Amino acid sequence: MAAAESPSAALRRRDLCSRGIRLAGKMRADVVDLLDAYVEQQGLDASASVAAVEGVPLAAVERWDEQTGTQRLLENLAAYRAFRALLAQMLEEQREQLGEADAGLGRALAAVLLQVSAFAYHLEELLRLESRGIPGEEGDEEEEDGPPPPPRLSLFEQKLRGQAVLRELAQWAVRSVRDLRQLAKPSPATGAAPGLAESP
Amino acid sequence: ESHTQYERVGADVTMKCGSMDWDAAVTWTANGTDIDESHLNGSYLILKNVDLSHSGQYSCYEGSSWHLKYQTNLRVGTPPKEPVLMCRSNNYPKGFYCSWHLPTPTYMPNSFNISVIHGTKDMVCEKDAVPKNRCHIRYLQLFSTVKYKVTLTVTNPLGKNFTTLTFDEFAIVKPDPPESVVAKPVPNNPRRLEVSWQNPSSWPDPESFPLKFFLRYRPLILDQWQHVELSDGTSHTITDAYAGKEYIIQVAAKDNDIGTWSDWSVAVHATPWTEEPKHLTTEAQITETTSASTSSFMAPPTTKICDKGAMVGSGAMAVCWTAGLVVAAYSVLFI
Repeated sequence: MAAAESPSAALRRRDLCSRGIRLAGKMRADVVDLLDAYVEQQGLDASASVAAVEGVPLAAVERWDEQTGTQRLLENLAAYRAFRALLAQMLEEQREQLGEADAGLGRALAAVLLQVSAFAYHLEELLRLESRGIPGEEGDEEEEDGPPPPPRLSLFEQKLRGQAVLRELAQWAVRSVRDLRQLAKPSPATGAAPGLAESP
Repeated sequence: ESHTQYERVGADVTMKCGSMDWDAAVTWTANGTDIDESHLNGSYLILKNVDLSHSGQYSCYEGSSWHLKYQTNLRVGTPPKEPVLMCRSNNYPKGFYCSWHLPTPTYMPNSFNISVIHGTKDMVCEKDAVPKNRCHIRYLQLFSTVKYKVTLTVTNPLGKNFTTLTFDEFAIVKPDPPESVVAKPVPNNPRRLEVSWQNPSSWPDPESFPLKFFLRYRPLILDQWQHVELSDGTSHTITDAYAGKEYIIQVAAKDNDIGTWSDWSVAVHATPWTEEPKHLTTEAQITETTSASTSSFMAPPTTKICDKGAMVGSGAMAVCWTAGLVVAAYSVLFI
C-alpha cells in the first residue's frame, strides 16, 4: 500500500531532481564535446554505427513511460556505476597509450569521470530518500574463484569501445534528465513521485 | 477490349490495329478525331518522338465496316526520378512520420513502398489516409543509439527509383511551431509589447518533455530582427520596442534537450501603446484652427507641447515658453 510522502520529503525530492537535471544536462554537454574530440583524435568515423559493446550499459529502453520511479533510479544507478568503471579504464588506457601526448583528452575524460561519480552519488541520495536500500556494487564481494579477467583488447578495439562508452553515456544523460523529470512530478493520488511509493 | 499503353516522352510509338493485317484498310482516331494517313504505315499508326500532348485514347476501325478493331489509352510520361523523402518527429516521444514526393511529375500512376529498419528489426510504417504520401511509426524503444534506416521505392510502368535516409532518434525531433501567438500593447508603456503563445497541440507531453522557445521581433520598417531565447514559460514582454511603430513577431519551439528548432509561427503584428494626442494651447494653434485650412496638427506621442509649469503670461495670451520661441522665430522670418 502506498504511503503518503511527507511535505519535507517531497520538497527534498524535487530539489534533488532539479539539481540532478542540471547535473545531467551539464554532463551531457561535456560528454558530447568529449565524444567529438575523442573521435577526431582517435581517427574514428563519427557517423559509423558502433555495435553494442559488452559491459557498456545501453540507454535504449522499451516502455519507458511505464517504468516506476524505483526502476528508473535503480537502472540509472547501475548504468552510472558501470560508466564510472569504464571511464576509469579508458583513462588508464589513454595514459598508457599516449603518455603526455594527449593530455587534453585525458583531462576531459577525468572531468567527465568526476561528473559521472557525482551523478551516481546523487542517485544514491535519491534512493536513500525513498528509504530504498542502495544496491551493492558488483565486484564488492570477494570470491575465491572469481571470473577470469576479460581478454585485453587491441588498440583499435579499445578506441571503438571508448566511442561506444561515450556515445551511450551521452544517451544516458538525456534519459536521466527525462527520468528525473518524471520523478519530480507529484503523484496525484498520494503526493509521492509516480511509482516511488510502490513496494519493490 | 481496351488497353492502356505507357510510353516515355521522346519515344517512337507503333500501334498495331489488333489482329488486322499490315495491308488492311483502317482508320485511326485520337480522342475521336481522325488521324491523317501520313501517320500510318500500312495499318500501323506511327507516332514519332511522342510528348505529353500525344496522351489520349486511340481507336482503330476497319475501313469499310467501321468496326472498332482496337482501342488503347496512350499515357506518355517519364520514369520516376529519385524521390524526396523526409522523416520527422513532431510528437516525441510517441513516434515519427515520413513523407515523400517526386521532384517532377511522371504523368502516370506511381506506387510507393517504404521500409523502416531499426538495427536488424523491420518496423511497419502505417500509411496515413490523408495525406496519401505519408506514413507514421511508433517508437518501440527510446534513447537508442542504433540508427533508423528508411528506404522509399517508387515504381511506375516505365521504371523505378529509390532513396534512403539514415538517422538517429534524436536528430529528427522537430516540433510544430507554437500556436495561438498573441501580441498586445501594455497600457501606459510605450515601449512594451506582451507576447504569449501555446505549445503546439501535436506535442504530446510538454510537462515531461518541455519545450524551449525562440522569439524574434522587428518593426515593420526595419529588416533586422531582435532575438530572445526563453528556456521556460509561454510568454514574454518586449521592453525595447520603438514607440509608435508597428511590430512583427514570431515564435519557434524546440525540445529542451534534443532535436532542432521548429519553423517560425504565423507572424503577428502589434503596436506599442501610445498616448492620446493633447490639445494645443498656443496662439499659433488658435490661429491655425480658425483658418480655412482643414489640416490638423497632431503632436508626436512621446513629446508634449506644453507643460503647465512652462506657461508664461496669463489669460487669453498665456503661452508656453517653447511655443513662444517657435512663434517668435516664425515671425522673424516674415518681417
